[in-house]
Amino acid sequence: MGSVLEISDLCVEFHTQNGVAHAVNHVDLSIGEKRSVGLVGETGAGKTTTALSIMQLIDLRHGKYTSGRIDFRGDDLMKLKDTQLQKIRGKEISMIFQDPMTTLNPVIKVQDQIAESYRIHEKDSPAEALIRAKDMLEMVGIPAGRGEEYPHQFSGGMKQRVVIAMALTCNPQLLLADEPTTALDVTIQSQVLDMINDLKDRLGTSMLLITHDLGIVAETCDEVAIMYAGEIIEAGALRQIFKDFRHPYTDGLFNSIPSLTKKTHRLMPIPGLMPDPKQLPGGCHFHPRCPHAVDECKVAHPEMTEVEKGHLVRCLRCTEVLSR
Amino acid sequence: MSGLLEVVNLKKYFETRGGLLHAVDGVSFSVGQGKVLGVVGESGCGKSTLGRVILGIIDATGGQVIFEGEDITGIRGRKRAELQKKMQIIYQDPYSSLNPRMCVFDLIADPLQANHVYHDAKALGKRVLEAMDTVGLARNLAYSYPHELDGGRRQRIGIARALVLDPTFIVCDEPVSALDVSIQAQILNLLQDLQEQRRLTYIFVTHDLSVVKHISDDILVMYMGCMAEKCPADELFENPLHPYTQGLLASIPVPDVDYHREKIRIKGEITSPIEPKPGCRFAPRCAFADEKCQRETPVFREMGEGHFVACHRAGQEVV
Repeated sequence: MGSVLEISDLCVEFHTQNGVAHAVNHVDLSIGEKRSVGLVGETGAGKTTTALSIMQLIDLRHGKYTSGRIDFRGDDLMKLKDTQLQKIRGKEISMIFQDPMTTLNPVIKVQDQIAESYRIHEKDSPAEALIRAKDMLEMVGIPAGRGEEYPHQFSGGMKQRVVIAMALTCNPQLLLADEPTTALDVTIQSQVLDMINDLKDRLGTSMLLITHDLGIVAETCDEVAIMYAGEIIEAGALRQIFKDFRHPYTDGLFNSIPSLTKKTHRLMPIPGLMPDPKQLPGGCHFHPRCPHAVDECKVAHPEMTEVEKGHLVRCLRCTEVLSR
Repeated sequence: MSGLLEVVNLKKYFETRGGLLHAVDGVSFSVGQGKVLGVVGESGCGKSTLGRVILGIIDATGGQVIFEGEDITGIRGRKRAELQKKMQIIYQDPYSSLNPRMCVFDLIADPLQANHVYHDAKALGKRVLEAMDTVGLARNLAYSYPHELDGGRRQRIGIARALVLDPTFIVCDEPVSALDVSIQAQILNLLQDLQEQRRLTYIFVTHDLSVVKHISDDILVMYMGCMAEKCPADELFENPLHPYTQGLLASIPVPDVDYHREKIRIKGEITSPIEPKPGCRFAPRCAFADEKCQRETPVFREMGEGHFVACHRAGQEVV
């Protein structure tokens, strides 16, 4: 099966007043055709920076790509000119941002915001674009008549549906969804997730789903990559990660979530905090918080090791601890 | 039945241009000393307003709040100040609830100074540092400002501020929802330890059902200002009776690839809480609603021991 997107050795850094923040470090990631990949991690892990790099939307006044290739249909996105990228953004690759409240333009009718990408990418006449925009609204479960309204007249869940409609207008090959349901209530979240899954299957789109919620990953993704301090520390098929995780950080994440199905009296949180991307600890970036760290972890930076076909772990002790 | 805190038919209506907004509409319950009542519901269901009305931060429109056997609804002045030493709140957002121009020490000393607890600076300082130890804030952070600290540490300041007056009762208003999972677990453990060591009574307001299951003895599910269901925590997850609770439970994504369940989806969105029509407020979204549900407001009735539900159809047949 071919892959739609192939990221190799991506590094992104940001220059700040207090030093250089290493936001994304040597990330390799591939997204197969019609596959959904979940990118999981906590605040500051580099998930959104990775997605913005795919879109080539890093602000180059502060940020810098220090290495990497992003192959998309035979092109390296890193090497394309702005005019070429503009033809890809919103047409071949589109992105759903976290907060629907700030994504939409408050002074433009929602149907016009959706129609815009038909006019720009498919050169539709304004009238044609409008008709297609209304169809798109129906597809995400909003009556076409409401297209005349402005974003403030919509609830949070409805706004996110509009944003999804905008992202799917040109049948993109790849959808980047950055925490698409974090701002929504659970009952609305489940409606929106069902809809994304359904549309994605119908249109044959691949998806990179960024989230911190392992529950959402379990219900929507085929593959998972866990990020910590700008690196992917464990990646594999859904079942490999959920049933046979090997990295102590992944273990910590699962232990931090209160369970709905089991009774636990005390949670087992990961001690300490996420390291500052300006001063990443030497050796394994996770060693100061790791219960299994040995002296070697403080000096040697682990490479990705394949523990099983397709299951990669960045841990020196991945074959000893947590191995079942 | 009387507990530390009793709430009787509590109501809070806000006046809006469109009419009266029923934020909290006839809520009654009792919480025993040393117990945790979890209050869950989605945005706009009135759970935060409920917490604030109980503490007297906003005035009730009707009903009573009884604390330690005394009706405290509408109490003001010196008596209210005395009460506030015993009743505290931890806010949701550790970013906006702390004054950015005060350092950690001053932030924690603030409630003590406002209540004139100590007249001697040395005793005050000692108390503040003790509070910092209790919540796990390193003493060398005493002169740091909130912007220098991460969300977890800021929330620890919020907890220290609530604890420093030695309250018996705390409203925790979504104390962990702004935090990352690994930090969330640290703060939940801290809140749980404090509750157990000091026999504190919590009203724990949250939208996160797995958090509420973890920490609560009893759970109250609210929908549009009304009580939908109330029962012991485990019972709610094993035997939910209200269609809203059932849908809510089915909507939570479970991080287990082998966990399969029936997908009950709640259709539509919350309707307007302004001048709500009679009848069950959940009826427009309920799959089981019939003509009676549209017409009559369901009574909050006991279905099993300690298990209350406001639904006409609960118990009649398998819903």
